[in-house]
Amino acid sequence: MDLVLQLLFTGIGIGAVYALVALGFVLIFRATNVVNFAQGEFSMVAAYLMVVCVELGLPYWLSFVIALAGMALLGVIFNLGVYYPLRHRTYLPVIIATIGASILLSNSVLAIYGPQPQVLQGWFDTPGIQLGPVYLDSQYLLIIGVTIFLVLFNFWFFEKTLLGKKLQATSQDKEMASLLGISVSTMIMITFIYSAVLGGLAGILVAPVLFVSIQMGSTIALKAFAATIIGGFGDVAGAIVGGLALGVIETFGAAYISVPYKDGFAFLVLIAFLVFRPQGIFGERVAEKA
Amino acid sequence: MKLTRREFSAGLAAGLAAPALVRSAWAQGATIKIGMCVPVTGPAAEQGLWAQNGAKLALAAVNKAGGVLGKQVELVIEDDQTTNPGIVLAFSKLAAQSDIVAFLGSIRSTQVQAMAPDVIKVGKPVMIGGTNPDLTHSGNPWLFRFRPNDNYSGRVIADFGVNTLGKKKWAIVHSTDAFGTAGGKALTEALTKLGAPPVLDQGYANQSQDFTPVVLAVKQSGADVLGTYFTFENDLGIFARQLRQLGVNIPWVGSPSVVAVSSTKLAGPALFGTYGVADFAEDSSDAAKAFGKAYRDAYKTAPDNQSAWPYDAITILSAAINKAGSTDPNKIRDAILATQKFAGAEGEYNFDKNGDGLHGYNVVKNDKGKIVYDKHIDFND
Repeated sequence: MDLVLQLLFTGIGIGAVYALVALGFVLIFRATNVVNFAQGEFSMVAAYLMVVCVELGLPYWLSFVIALAGMALLGVIFNLGVYYPLRHRTYLPVIIATIGASILLSNSVLAIYGPQPQVLQGWFDTPGIQLGPVYLDSQYLLIIGVTIFLVLFNFWFFEKTLLGKKLQATSQDKEMASLLGISVSTMIMITFIYSAVLGGLAGILVAPVLFVSIQMGSTIALKAFAATIIGGFGDVAGAIVGGLALGVIETFGAAYISVPYKDGFAFLVLIAFLVFRPQGIFGERVAEKA
Repeated sequence: MKLTRREFSAGLAAGLAAPALVRSAWAQGATIKIGMCVPVTGPAAEQGLWAQNGAKLALAAVNKAGGVLGKQVELVIEDDQTTNPGIVLAFSKLAAQSDIVAFLGSIRSTQVQAMAPDVIKVGKPVMIGGTNPDLTHSGNPWLFRFRPNDNYSGRVIADFGVNTLGKKKWAIVHSTDAFGTAGGKALTEALTKLGAPPVLDQGYANQSQDFTPVVLAVKQSGADVLGTYFTFENDLGIFARQLRQLGVNIPWVGSPSVVAVSSTKLAGPALFGTYGVADFAEDSSDAAKAFGKAYRDAYKTAPDNQSAWPYDAITILSAAINKAGSTDPNKIRDAILATQKFAGAEGEYNFDKNGDGLHGYNVVKNDKGKIVYDKHIDFND
């Protein structure tokens, strides 16, 4: 039983990381109908910004604010440089452009900061707490807390605020939204800023656990992408549930079946969903969407 | 004199080509070229940089002492991207330059394995740092190893743990790549010979983000000592921290990555008190101390095995070409194999017929973040 609880905690913790990155995927997909393959790199860039600020001697909270502000700026640049020029084309050139941007981002950081993995201190001085038989890593507790907060925040933001409703309208039908006087390009800009900040948040939160390295983003993003498909592409709740499910499944799969095939379980679940329920847990049926 | 159009064209072509031909002939004669496949990008780009540092340091010394066969030595670097397809591509690019006389391959066994078939086809000496024993034992005459192979690391880990620390209940954790699998196997065999077969043999896939299941397996096995073969330092860092968080504090004797500079930095206190076998230990010999000083002077950081083996490889290869008196691959091969009792940064080189230069390891300890030399264990077979 102790074992199960410990595995469950770690599974949810790592799943929450996938969920945070998956959320960024979903928001951009809803607004633009493309998958942003540079989402993982957003996490990596933010983690490096954080390391740079902390090394400059800035307080942790200020570094955090600067890193997220930097991500907002990156979101603007990304929208103007990658999405905007290609917005009237089909989804394919845009997807290729995001892959290109992801390669550019990771190699830029490599060129500027060098290949050495970096250490980022956690938010708390205490590394964790022992709760009976279970060890709770304080950074994972923070990640889980932030994920819960974001679920509630997203619900409130998209359902209760005018801006959120405008964003929803844009993602559902761009032509209709612009007929109603909503500035579609502004809404898409806001979406890119929001997802860059979310991706950055995930990167900063996970950096003390996984270290800061060039490839940290891509490994998480691959799982987050699987999580989005499992949850239902385009669904915010789906991204969270998909991410958590994936984290728990691979942790238990590793513990009880096989450690070397840990990544295999995640993708096995992905394949099962693609075959039997391609719209994911929460996804709407394709026919309904047309 | 009457010039036909064809003669004119031929003359023009020859006239245009001549300077280029002369230059390339001059360039071929001016330097001796050594190719180096090394990670410039990818997960091991950091270590790749150190490898280049080590090689360049040796190169500078060789050139200062008059070079090779009276010519300066030049290093041609190609990025292997830390991947197997990457190194195959990098090696084929280098091999296409016919004036490169010998090569430096990877410190990663899996990459050496990937390039091995092409090495046979090219038929020129390749210095390697990968420690999977099979690499020099599968009939490939062109691979020369500048680090002790995992048969020795496994035997040294087992010998140190069983005879020095007095521990008999072993848990083994290893990567499932070529390096980790071979290392885990070698350790299991060595322990079985010493009458202490492992109670747990646990593999994991590289670039795992979480090691909780592995740590819990170690905990449940009831082992009183841990032996590890980790390939990547960030994996090791995550594992070490989770191991301590979940309350596992048994003695730990690991492969060289446990005591590598970047692991020590990443994992911090989680690795205090661990033992590692290290092919390079700065205090183990005068040659190692001299290399350490030169490296610190040049690069202002501490050296480790990533930079020590390319340093030795360039030094010994250059000496071998000088001794061979020619760049003929077979003569270089004979000269390398004839290298005996050579004091290198990694230890004393005595090449055997398989192309293995070293036959033992140092055991070092992480003493509150400082790597201190403990003892050297050498084998004769």
